[in-house]
Amino acid sequence: MLQFPFWKVALIVITLIWGVVMALPNVVNMSGAPGFLPKEGVNLGLDLRGGVYLEMEIRPDDVIGGRLEVFARDVRGALARTDSADPVAHLAEVNGRSMTIKLTRADGAGNFPVEDAVARINKVNGPLEGGLAGGKTYDVARAGPDAVLITVPENSENLMMADALAKTETIVRRRVDPDGVAEIAITPSGTSRMVLEAPGEPDPERLKSLLSRDGRMTFNIVDDSPSSIAAAQAGVVKPGYRLLSGPTTGDLLVRSIPEIVGSDIANASQGNDEANRPQINFRLNSNGARKFFETTRANTNKRFAIVLDDVIMSAPNINEPIAGGNVRITGDFTMEEAQDLAAIISAGEMPAKLQFLDQRTVSATLGRDSINAGIQASIIGILLVAGFMVVAYNLLGIFAVISLAANVILIFGGLSGLGATLTLPGIAGIILTIGMAVDANVLVFERIREEQQSGRSLLTAVQAGYERALSTILDANITTLIAAAILYLLGSGPVKGFAATLAIGIVTSVFTAFVVTRWLTVMWIKAFRPKKLSV
Amino acid sequence: MLMKFWPKETHLNFMSLRMAGLVLSIALLTASAFFLITRGLNFGVDFAGGTAMELNATETVNESTVRAAIPFSADVNAAVGTDARHIVVVKFGEAPEGLLGEEFQALTAEEKVERASGATNELVVRSLKEKLAITDDQILRNDSVGPKVSQELFRDGITALVVALVLMLAYIWYRFEWQFSIGAVAALAHDVIITLGVFSFLQLEFNLTTIAALLTIIGYSMNDTVVVFDRVREEKRKYKKMPDRQVIDLALNSTLSRTLLTSGTTLIALLAIFFLGGPVLRGMSFALIWGIVIGTYSSIFIASSIVLSLGMDLTQKTVDDTPGFQGVE
Repeated sequence: MLQFPFWKVALIVITLIWGVVMALPNVVNMSGAPGFLPKEGVNLGLDLRGGVYLEMEIRPDDVIGGRLEVFARDVRGALARTDSADPVAHLAEVNGRSMTIKLTRADGAGNFPVEDAVARINKVNGPLEGGLAGGKTYDVARAGPDAVLITVPENSENLMMADALAKTETIVRRRVDPDGVAEIAITPSGTSRMVLEAPGEPDPERLKSLLSRDGRMTFNIVDDSPSSIAAAQAGVVKPGYRLLSGPTTGDLLVRSIPEIVGSDIANASQGNDEANRPQINFRLNSNGARKFFETTRANTNKRFAIVLDDVIMSAPNINEPIAGGNVRITGDFTMEEAQDLAAIISAGEMPAKLQFLDQRTVSATLGRDSINAGIQASIIGILLVAGFMVVAYNLLGIFAVISLAANVILIFGGLSGLGATLTLPGIAGIILTIGMAVDANVLVFERIREEQQSGRSLLTAVQAGYERALSTILDANITTLIAAAILYLLGSGPVKGFAATLAIGIVTSVFTAFVVTRWLTVMWIKAFRPKKLSV
Repeated sequence: MLMKFWPKETHLNFMSLRMAGLVLSIALLTASAFFLITRGLNFGVDFAGGTAMELNATETVNESTVRAAIPFSADVNAAVGTDARHIVVVKFGEAPEGLLGEEFQALTAEEKVERASGATNELVVRSLKEKLAITDDQILRNDSVGPKVSQELFRDGITALVVALVLMLAYIWYRFEWQFSIGAVAALAHDVIITLGVFSFLQLEFNLTTIAALLTIIGYSMNDTVVVFDRVREEKRKYKKMPDRQVIDLALNSTLSRTLLTSGTTLIALLAIFFLGGPVLRGMSFALIWGIVIGTYSSIFIASSIVLSLGMDLTQKTVDDTPGFQGVE
């Protein structure tokens, strides 16, 4: 216990130097330092720097229902006969996570060709991307004399959710951070959730409005004859058309089947028109540009509606066939609106609507206030504890205070080195650790005192004090570490920050109290050879 | 210096007070159960859902103008916030459906339940911006939690507490004997229940940081209990013939100065947080301060008394004292 060979001293010194180097960027601006030194201090949590926290979810019912609706189109194709026999007319109905296909026309013998329909549907029922080759995505089964039931087995469901979550994550990122420069963290959690943390963002509503749109962009041919629109407004919509409206166009009838869809768009950006008003420019990919040219050639002098999430953004007249695939939307946009819309259009369509579960915003002002209050509480707390230790234990107390200082440095070094996040409860965790850190010192000092009282010489008393206290110190700290670990695993946000500082603090305080203080004590005894230490 | 005034040896008969301790604890536990049942806990938005908002108070933004600007009845109070800033605290659940706009009313019943809280939040922010010209930076804090997340947070919080208790039980069982394990966990449950009782009695806000505080109390109380138990085991081995009661009293007395010193320094640090750390940390530091007091009491009067009642048998275990690392010199 009292021997400190060179390698041990070296290890202690290296650890302390590491702590100082890692902690340094928190107090000194290190931007001009040599490359091997860390430049960044500890990460501050949103509660200390201000920003928006959003927890979002995509619902399995929406994801799977959406997939089934897409599959319904394949089923329609599969059941449409191309030979001379009658096509099997059918009705598809998506009901939550299953789809029922009802056959409506019997064959010549008066039977519904259910088995045939199942076989035809299975031909278009291939494996999912990421699934087993040769596997089937859906379970297709006969359900009665004229019905087929399509359900989604669990492994397909899991793949669909994983795929949808990954796609949603990409789209969310592209929408909120189109240039990839912002410091926004998007973290998926579980099978259907993700958490977005945007430091410095003051307004959650802007993020939410960016993210709550489906982003389904289509170009549809318009029927703007007043009689058809009037009929549709009265409730009689022309077959194959839908009645949509937009802020600048009013009610218009558009063809249900779009000419150009989101996947035809290469990218979109905010630009300015001749009068320097914000507009949205976008470029179609080669396939889209070809379709666009053909459609505009075939529909000259009609109007073309640009529809985003069932709202007509603009419906310009087609004066001539347009080649090249560059399109623009002009309208009454502010710069910010045009930028946001461009980001939504380029990011593409969400696989399912995002639901917002939890939103927390802290302003930068409150963040600064919290840091001030935290620093004030820390400094006063540390000074009081240090003063108390010196008063209680004199010289040993001074050693304990030195190791307490080393402890604070190591906690900050550890937080910075591990990339942990410091939150306001985390600051409380540091102060609490400092209060508790003296425990290991106290346990040892009390032992030394007892051993001295029972008449042992100073060195043997110190030796016995450390030896006897070790098992207690470890037991006591392991139990606290268990609590911190659970808190880290099950906690979120600020509470996680608290757990991280508590855990790091436990490790560093055992090290500083048991190793650093002991080293200091031993060095003192060897240098000054006192007969007794006042404890 | 200070320790010179501390008697060299104390001979307090803690175990003779254990019946008094038992009566006190049962009274506190009963009172806690009573308050928890009749008053319940004052859940913050983390667990109750809804919105909690803090606004920077100015001449135009104060309790009455804010109350008037919100189109339904919300809980509005003036307060002093972090770093002594004057603030207005606004709390509300869900606005009447009629105020939430056509888009909201078109939703399905299930969607309405999930979105009401967020939609109400948007409505209030919009009203405040329109009527009081509040800027984003004046909204110091705006937390809105939906019903799904609040239920999950509560469930996770309770899970964390239970898992912590079970792991502590297992660890003590491994390091000591089952009697110690029961004593330690009974003491922890005692601390947690009485702390909850105090939160219920004072109707202090119970939120995520309170759960963090409860877990820390568990860790701390356990720490204290382990120190006493280690000493009990050591004295028992040293004085094989001494009756359990005396062994425990001896152990409690010889760890007493340590117990008081550590509690003292921890309390000093916590008082600094309580008075200077601002309102966000006040609930947490209050729980911790209370927890240290009750944790220290329970390791003496609950954990040790239970070990005494259950009896000790140290002949079974001959494990080395140092868990898992003997290499330390």
